[in-house]
Amino acid sequence: MEDILNECLERLFKGESIETCLNAHPEQASGLEPLLRTSLMLRQSTAAIRPDAEYKARTQYQLQAMFYDRHEKVKKEVRIPVWQRKWAVALTTVAAILLAGVGAVAASATALPDDALYPIKLAAEQARVALAFSDVDEAKLHLQFAERRANEMTEMARQGKSDEISTLTEQIANHLGKLAVAEATLGITKEEPEALAPPAPALPEEATAAAAGMDTGGLEAVLSQSRAMNLALLEEALDKAPEELKPALEEAIDSLARDYDRTISIIEGGSS
Amino acid sequence: MSIEKDVVSRAIKGDGKAFAQLYEELFDKVYRYVYLRVGNETEAEDLTQDVFVKALEAIGSYRWRNLPFASWIFRIAHNQVIDYLRKQGRVEKVDFEDDVYPVDESSPAQIAEQRIEAAELRDNIKKLSPSQREVISLRFGAELSTAEIAEALGKSAGTVKALQYNGIVALRKMMLGNRQGREDGRYSE
Repeated sequence: MEDILNECLERLFKGESIETCLNAHPEQASGLEPLLRTSLMLRQSTAAIRPDAEYKARTQYQLQAMFYDRHEKVKKEVRIPVWQRKWAVALTTVAAILLAGVGAVAASATALPDDALYPIKLAAEQARVALAFSDVDEAKLHLQFAERRANEMTEMARQGKSDEISTLTEQIANHLGKLAVAEATLGITKEEPEALAPPAPALPEEATAAAAGMDTGGLEAVLSQSRAMNLALLEEALDKAPEELKPALEEAIDSLARDYDRTISIIEGGSS
Repeated sequence: MSIEKDVVSRAIKGDGKAFAQLYEELFDKVYRYVYLRVGNETEAEDLTQDVFVKALEAIGSYRWRNLPFASWIFRIAHNQVIDYLRKQGRVEKVDFEDDVYPVDESSPAQIAEQRIEAAELRDNIKKLSPSQREVISLRFGAELSTAEIAEALGKSAGTVKALQYNGIVALRKMMLGNRQGREDGRYSE
């Protein structure tokens, strides 16, 4: 009976009906049926137990970061004592999010938009934003990441991969848009919550379409427009920002202007 | 549970996509198994994470010829749960949270009845003997075959089948008892 029950369970789990199984074992059917019905209910009941989606995604990210971390270390033939490794494993989960520059995440730090590790890089950035201690810190992070996107934009232009450029300009605008949202809660502009800057406007459709079409003239237009909008947005923010944020804003203005100019120059060079 | 050897081999060699594939295949099952053993979401989350961290640490030393990969993972999970319960001093006591129900498309009355029975059934798992509970959790929560369970627990397939049979018989009896109790309650009102 134990074997027959097990065989029927295998068949049930593969999608066969209870009746099919009972027909295959008519002599045991009366004893088997209630057990199979209980089993089916048990199966349905346990199948409803599912981990929280956010927890699952967060854990996957942490484990993926640890996974890359391990293999990067192996590649570099770094020998770490066992006790240190244990500590490292215990801390990596936290470190991967907090530092976004350790080991696995470090491996993704130089990743460009067409690299396999690029999603890890973006995920690490998101985690850092999520864990920012204050609104000022969060605003600084958005500035830093907008600069990174601008830097990547230049590098992609250098490599002739203009496909990614319009996406990166959107990401820059997105970061600066979030900067405005973050700063709206800083509390230093009490009279006007929106005192810094509104979210960056989307690029005009025709310019984006031109960029998607790989036309270098269109791409220049997108870049010029994106440069003007984003720098204007930052200049406006600089006027109203708290003192502690001003250095980061000034640096971002310089950095973004420089990267936009380089990218446009490369695109122009490619089209001439 | 069919996990391709190729996927495991690639994960061992550092292929992130293969590792993600293993994670996707196994995570819910490990969580479900752990949840059935400890009966609490937060503890199940922590322990499931620990299982995967341990697996990640040890994956380099895994060899397919000794043990199927699913059995290997669930052996880790089993050991984690045992360690945890031992530290908590609660090997036998498991109180399930009752906020997880299967979804059905029957009438509201039937759904309500099914929900009650499903919750009772899951709750009754804690009343099984530890060995039966272990096998039932691996069979129904982790969806392992009896052969895989035997490998994971280091028992014979015959023993696992017997534990499975006795466990289901015991659960059936408890379910009938619960049902009878509800009927009696209705008549006495």
